[in-house]
Amino acid sequence: MKKLIVLSLLALASTALAQATTIEFWHTFGDAKRSDWIAARAADYNAAHPGVKVVAVFRGDSNETLQSSILAARQNKAPALVQVDGVSSQLALDSGVFQPVGGVKSVDFGDYLKPVVSYYTIQGKVNSVPFNSSSPVLYFNKDLMLKAGLDPKQPPTTFGGILKACAKFDAAKLGVKCVALTPFSWLFEQWMSEQNAVLVNNNNGRTGRATSTNIDSAAGRKVYQFYKNLNDQGYLTNTGKLADTVGTNAIFTSQKALMTINSTAGLGNILDGAKQNGFQLGVGVLPIPDGSKRNGVVIGGASLWVAKGASKPEADTALDFALFMTNTANMASWHKLTGYYPVRSSSVDLLRKQGWFSSSPLQIVAFNQLLKTVPNVANAGALSGATIQTRTIIEQGMQKVLGGQSVDSAIVSASEQANAAIAEYNKNFK
Amino acid sequence: MSLVRPTPKSRAVRAKAVRSQEAHAEASAQAEHATFRGRWLPWLFLLPTLLVLGVFSYYPAARTLRLSVFRANLIVGNEQYVGLANFAQLLSSPVYYQVILQTLIFVALVVVLGLTFALSLAWLASKPIAGAKFYRLMLIYPYALSPAIAGTLWLFLFNPEIGAVNTLLDALIGVKPRWLDNPFLAFALVVVASIWKGLGYNVVFYLAAIQNIPGDVLEAAEIDGASAWQSFWRVVFPLLSPMTFFLVFTNIVTSLFDSFGLVNILTRGGPVYGETGITTFLVYQLYEDGFRNFKTGAAAAQAVLMLLLVICIVAMQFRYSNRRVHYGA
Repeated sequence: MKKLIVLSLLALASTALAQATTIEFWHTFGDAKRSDWIAARAADYNAAHPGVKVVAVFRGDSNETLQSSILAARQNKAPALVQVDGVSSQLALDSGVFQPVGGVKSVDFGDYLKPVVSYYTIQGKVNSVPFNSSSPVLYFNKDLMLKAGLDPKQPPTTFGGILKACAKFDAAKLGVKCVALTPFSWLFEQWMSEQNAVLVNNNNGRTGRATSTNIDSAAGRKVYQFYKNLNDQGYLTNTGKLADTVGTNAIFTSQKALMTINSTAGLGNILDGAKQNGFQLGVGVLPIPDGSKRNGVVIGGASLWVAKGASKPEADTALDFALFMTNTANMASWHKLTGYYPVRSSSVDLLRKQGWFSSSPLQIVAFNQLLKTVPNVANAGALSGATIQTRTIIEQGMQKVLGGQSVDSAIVSASEQANAAIAEYNKNFK
Repeated sequence: MSLVRPTPKSRAVRAKAVRSQEAHAEASAQAEHATFRGRWLPWLFLLPTLLVLGVFSYYPAARTLRLSVFRANLIVGNEQYVGLANFAQLLSSPVYYQVILQTLIFVALVVVLGLTFALSLAWLASKPIAGAKFYRLMLIYPYALSPAIAGTLWLFLFNPEIGAVNTLLDALIGVKPRWLDNPFLAFALVVVASIWKGLGYNVVFYLAAIQNIPGDVLEAAEIDGASAWQSFWRVVFPLLSPMTFFLVFTNIVTSLFDSFGLVNILTRGGPVYGETGITTFLVYQLYEDGFRNFKTGAAAAQAVLMLLLVICIVAMQFRYSNRRVHYGA
């Protein structure tokens, strides 16, 4: 009897030991394709590391995931590793429930793509491990271009180029709109970056808390004016809902529009749509305002944050898993599956060796666009606690312009509203 | 129907006015009361309900009340006492007034049009015609869809370039209306979608009520020479008034709160018109502020205002339930 008790105690102790390094990873991918990939990486990792267990959990969209992580952390039940959207970086920082990954152990980020690391570097410290990154590109329908006498080998690269191509396309009277473009603040942010303009002050919120926006600027007005020109000429179409890229993708793949601008992460789905509807898809660089020197894109996407409340072994495991999931081979396979960038230079080399870019040449455009980006303040992206609200305000301003309001009045009121939102957020720290 | 009956307590208040029938009910209720042994036994039986209500309704409501006087951000986790500033800000904001106004118009349209439509359909479907059962089933099914799925469905149907509706309209009469960014059309679309979504629920209740109307009343009307319209309007409609009354209040509450799922998917509160998006209703504004912008204090203040609104509605329900409604059936 005594033996039995001792044995069962031992058994209990050993399971307790095994559980001591079980960590949860909360992510935002509900679709089978991406969540299965993550689950498979966790399984790989667990198999290679006996005694350690990573459990990957889908926690809803990025807002819901951040919210539940922070509420869990307040009850000392924080998941050790959380995927946080780039725009929520300032919120994640202000919540105080995460720690910079450099604090867990020193990590060499030399192999990670510079613009990506620059986005997640705040006041000199890399806060999180880059994971899923993307940028916008121009998608166009090669068949329709040929029909209208346009050269699919030379897609427009500027706003002026798009308007010119549209004029020619419109003259061909194919009964198809020229551009499917939704009021989308993410693109506004990209175009600010391409013009080397910050979105918020204090160096995009990176040298101090942002207190105002740069929406009402020459750079910002060029973007609003572009939407207005497209709309006034009758070249533009979208579903009418803000930031509805699902809708504009559907319009584009149904061949109701010649071009659309969207994330590289959408490439897989758009390519499927093009095949289904039987047309040749082309991909070009993000067209930018005329007369500006390309300053590069801002990396969109998310990164992996380690919880402050995690114990030392938990934090070690979390970081180790994050580095494993973003290692050379894994990032190459992630890229092939989703269209997100592999965030490491060695993965790009690996893909090149595998002949990936010659077998799927569409991807190379996006790569060059990113690799040519020389990190600076503007293309590091904006940090502000009111980014989500600012986005809606920018999009509503675009919608007002499409509804007939002048660029001037729409952008002035958008700028005032966004500044008020930032001021309101900053009051939380007085 | 028991849902619209006043509570025993409010009956007791109006003890003098009660008819003999109700007095009888009161007596039997007291007789039931007498069967409990001891003072605490009934409370013991109530305990599970009270616990659930306490944990999931009263406690959160109390916390919301408290939170409404703080500036708080869910993510930052701060709480700064600001008194009634949250309320002052809301009630001095032209945005919020527009939201209130468009919510009231939305609710009025959904309730009036929705119930009229549901009653007409239920009346037709209650007729002894071939395939009546099939019609009834088809009328009820939208209720089985979740708001998110209904929203997605409508979003695809009304995509201006590739949606089924515009493809049809374009082929027939050569127009492609901008359903989701023309403020008038978008508002109408959300109203119609909400009516459609609630139709099944309303039809079920009306069908049940119509089937409960004694046949002899209608027969008598027919013998007296009442036309079909007269027997509906003078006989059936008054007999349905308890059901209509019940549905008016459930529909008010549903359109106030459950419009969220549909709006979130279909329009995201847009398109912008005047100060804000024209389909941004009270509950959507609350969600935006509380769960997208994380302004927990401001959202709590809005929740308190909505609570006051619901209290007014419930008070009205109690007040008018006995006066204007005919419970003869």
